[in-house]
Amino acid sequence: CSEFQKAIKSEDIAVKFKMGTDLYESGKYRKALRLFDQIVPKYRGKPQAQKLMYMNAKAHYEVGDYYTSNYHMERFVNSYPESEKAEEMAFLAAKSYYHLPPVYSKEQKETVEAIEKIQSFINAYPNSEFLAEANKMVKELDFKLERKAYEIAKQYHTLGPHNRDYEAAIKAFDNFILDFPGATHKEKAMFYRLDSAYKLAVNSVESKKEERVRNAIEYYDSFKSRFAESEFLEEANKMNAELIELQRQYENKG
Amino acid sequence: DIIVTGSTSFGAETVITYSGLRKGQEITVPRTSQSKIAEAVKKLWNSDLFSSINIYISSIEGNVANLEIHLQDLPELKDVKIEGVKKSKFDDIIKDNKLSPGVKVTENLIKTTENYLESTYQKKGFLKANVTITTSEVTDSIDKQRVNMKLNIDKGNKVKVKDIVFNGREKLKAKKLKKAMKNTKKKNPIRIFKRSKYIEADFNEDLVSIIDTYKENGYRDARIISDSLIYNPDNTVSLVINLEEGEKYTYGDIKFLGNTVYTDELLNRILRINKGDTYNGVELKKRIQDETKPDGDDIANLYQNSGYLFSSITPVETSADGNVIDMEIRIIEGKPAYFNKISVVGNDKTNDHVIYREIRTRPGQRYSKADVIRTIRELGQLGFFDAQQIEPNFKNVNANDGTLDMEYSVVERGSSQIELQGGYGGGGFIGTLGLSFNNFSIKDIFKKDAYKPIPMGDGQKLALRLQASRFYQTYSFSFSEPWFGGKKPVSFSTSLSHTKQFLYNPATRNADKDRRFNITGLSVGLAKRLSVPDDYFVLSQAISFQHYDLKNYNTGLFTFGNGSSNNLAYTIGLSRNNTNVDPIYPTGGSNFSVTAKLSLPYSVFNKVDYKALKEERADQLEIQNNTTLSNSTRNDAADRISEIDQERFKWLEFYKVKFNGEWYARVIGDMVLRPKVEFGFLGAYNNDRGVIPFERYFVGGDGMGTYSLDGREAISLRGYPNQSLSSQDGGTIYNKFSLELRYPITLKSQQAKIYALAFLEAGASYDNFRDYNPFALKRSAGFGIRLFMPAFGLLGIDFGHGFDPLPGQAVKHGWETHFIIGQQF
Repeated sequence: CSEFQKAIKSEDIAVKFKMGTDLYESGKYRKALRLFDQIVPKYRGKPQAQKLMYMNAKAHYEVGDYYTSNYHMERFVNSYPESEKAEEMAFLAAKSYYHLPPVYSKEQKETVEAIEKIQSFINAYPNSEFLAEANKMVKELDFKLERKAYEIAKQYHTLGPHNRDYEAAIKAFDNFILDFPGATHKEKAMFYRLDSAYKLAVNSVESKKEERVRNAIEYYDSFKSRFAESEFLEEANKMNAELIELQRQYENKG
Repeated sequence: DIIVTGSTSFGAETVITYSGLRKGQEITVPRTSQSKIAEAVKKLWNSDLFSSINIYISSIEGNVANLEIHLQDLPELKDVKIEGVKKSKFDDIIKDNKLSPGVKVTENLIKTTENYLESTYQKKGFLKANVTITTSEVTDSIDKQRVNMKLNIDKGNKVKVKDIVFNGREKLKAKKLKKAMKNTKKKNPIRIFKRSKYIEADFNEDLVSIIDTYKENGYRDARIISDSLIYNPDNTVSLVINLEEGEKYTYGDIKFLGNTVYTDELLNRILRINKGDTYNGVELKKRIQDETKPDGDDIANLYQNSGYLFSSITPVETSADGNVIDMEIRIIEGKPAYFNKISVVGNDKTNDHVIYREIRTRPGQRYSKADVIRTIRELGQLGFFDAQQIEPNFKNVNANDGTLDMEYSVVERGSSQIELQGGYGGGGFIGTLGLSFNNFSIKDIFKKDAYKPIPMGDGQKLALRLQASRFYQTYSFSFSEPWFGGKKPVSFSTSLSHTKQFLYNPATRNADKDRRFNITGLSVGLAKRLSVPDDYFVLSQAISFQHYDLKNYNTGLFTFGNGSSNNLAYTIGLSRNNTNVDPIYPTGGSNFSVTAKLSLPYSVFNKVDYKALKEERADQLEIQNNTTLSNSTRNDAADRISEIDQERFKWLEFYKVKFNGEWYARVIGDMVLRPKVEFGFLGAYNNDRGVIPFERYFVGGDGMGTYSLDGREAISLRGYPNQSLSSQDGGTIYNKFSLELRYPITLKSQQAKIYALAFLEAGASYDNFRDYNPFALKRSAGFGIRLFMPAFGLLGIDFGHGFDPLPGQAVKHGWETHFIIGQQF
């Protein structure tokens, strides 16, 4: 019967506490948690509770149980706001949220929540040593939301021929560019917006063609002025040339 | 210093820690709502553990205050005693009201429990139910205050409605009014489904229905003056309803005001109300906006479906002279609205692209209520979400700009099935393991993170099935992707299967593993929804390959026991299906399909002289059947036939054409008539090589797919035993006509849909085209019932009467019973 088993079966909570601490310090978090689970309620209100709650929360974090770790960490921060570990706990609580969200293509309510949590950590501890990492996490999560919005807009572009609807893509890219001003995908978004507008214009019914050609040329101009070095420029130039040619026909008629 | 006083079982340290107060902490005096002390009181109060909390400053020394927290614990529940109901109900009562030991007993708990129980019994018809709860302190408790609780439940007797009396009723029949009262019914021993009982809330609903009935008949001013309840000595109640009917009204002039998008004429066509018609407020309201039907044919939807989200339509009575009512229908059209952002929430398993491609409301599009409704229906049909819980949420609705955002909220539901079963059948134990995943993601198959527990979210279907017994083993795998390539709804499907069959060895009564028959099959198919002539057409194509491998295995199918045969075929099909609405019980539309299955014409280029082989085979057959010859000569002839057949069936050469057509038409109400026509033909390119003994038609019986090795098709014809109307080898040509009348028993229920049916059928199969006679049919008639339950699929039983004799018999076949599982006729 190992010492761990003895501690598990022991009646003495001090033995469990000692054993749990040793296990925690040697990095055996799963075993430590089994002991902590038994004694956390019993230490409530006792002087050792602070250390125990800290170890318990951190152990949950270390084994990847982020749903539980953020709960314990937030509780720790609420119970011991003056503790020297409070900042670390607050940061790891926020970081626990960072680990929760699923891939960008599924619902992102956890991402939004994580950004809020990390942001409120940044506001609460503006001089924290973890600031750089916190900012990095926010950036990464923001990028996830950006990618989601981009991929949805891009699908409208892909399905344009099937749905016979290029306006959806134009509108979706418009919203995307508005919502994510510094977006990584901005170049592609602007190009595919132009591409959608171009296809809408050249395939248009006659009554709306002139206006659509004009709109597409506007999208070309804003794309070119923003991304003069773009890899898509050659393709964009080709579209523009065709659009200009169409526009000239209308001017001659008019 | 902080001390804790009062009667509490909690340790002082625990209370202090919990309160958030600390020694040496700065506090403000007097306390404000922001102060630490106020916060401490709030925290303690929220714990729901104390009946009173006071924090005093016991003394002040300089700028140091000593605090005293005075607490009074709430009593805890120890035991519950229940009187007046059966023991078996105790657990439910305790569970429903959360009366477990240790619960803090508050006044609120007692009152809500009393009310909850009383209303529960009243809903069951115990009108006089009375519940009283008393508590008594437990004296022997040492450290905690505890109480026992006693529930005294007096259910009283079940009360039925003896009589419903209408006072002041002249114009409408009492029967009609009673019928309108959907919930409250008079006592009647014949009515089994709706028991007579009185529930106040339901009765009030019924009073509204009575007034609606009057309104539907022109009595616009009808009202209920009073209603009363009289208890009779025999445990029943009588309901007395005092009415004032008022005068009957008719319509006068109806004018539309404010309509610019639609003409008066068009609006009138939807309203369908003429001058002089009996005034019907309920109908008028429905024609303008039918609250019960979100996709109803009403004026509001006319506007809602063409972008006028902000439109409002109000009927106003302009004059009511001499019981003739002039109406003005005032329309405010507003600006047309356009969708801005479209979003989906709740998809924690399914990927965005699978959902967004089904959504018919896209950014920049004009608002249409019909599109929203169709989107919800189609998202529901995907099967990944709970259809009842899909909701469209209107967001950022801006009447000035004419824009709105739409958020579809979905709830994922389990769409995977695991089938694991064992049973006796076919002479031994059969074990089956089936896995089917309906929302699979094949691209995530190598990603470790995606296994929670399986990669999901791309809307693909993956199924695996293993079945094994002593005599056979079957392995199959299938996969399909509804949007192959992601650009169009072209579905791609593929399947692989392998079957191993062993011959029964009568000596050991076991499977003989040395004598076996293997079938390996592979198929790949594409199906595409067409847009021309209309979008109900689907074009499908598939290539399939089957390899039969025999080892010392003689069956009726082959004349050779060792050898192999291959079936490589291309199938092309065109179908059109616009049956609606319920796939289980279509009430309209039709379903047609034409398919052709072809093999390559091998005999054209393989330079085998089939004519010579055919003649040789005929000669050898003569020898084999000639009993005057020696056994060895006859055996040699049989071996030669095997050889020839092996040559003929090495690659199966055939073409097969099928046509199916069925129509659904409502007769009266929901009664539906379904005529159906079927035709099939199997032919050979080279008549000397002959028509293959595979892929044939077997007519008769329930038509359910039997354990088929040879691609045979079972064609149903009720009133006759299964596959009894075709020759031993099966027909190469068949036709069938059927007429079925269906009557729904229940369709609304979520648990089960049931309908009854009666049918007339006629059909036959023929061995070759020379025998074909479309009028030499086997006829039958009968009736049956179908039950559909989501968990089991379709189940049914049919009784059919065959009017013609079976092949080779002289008298008509008569009655035959069919059990139907999972297939529709």
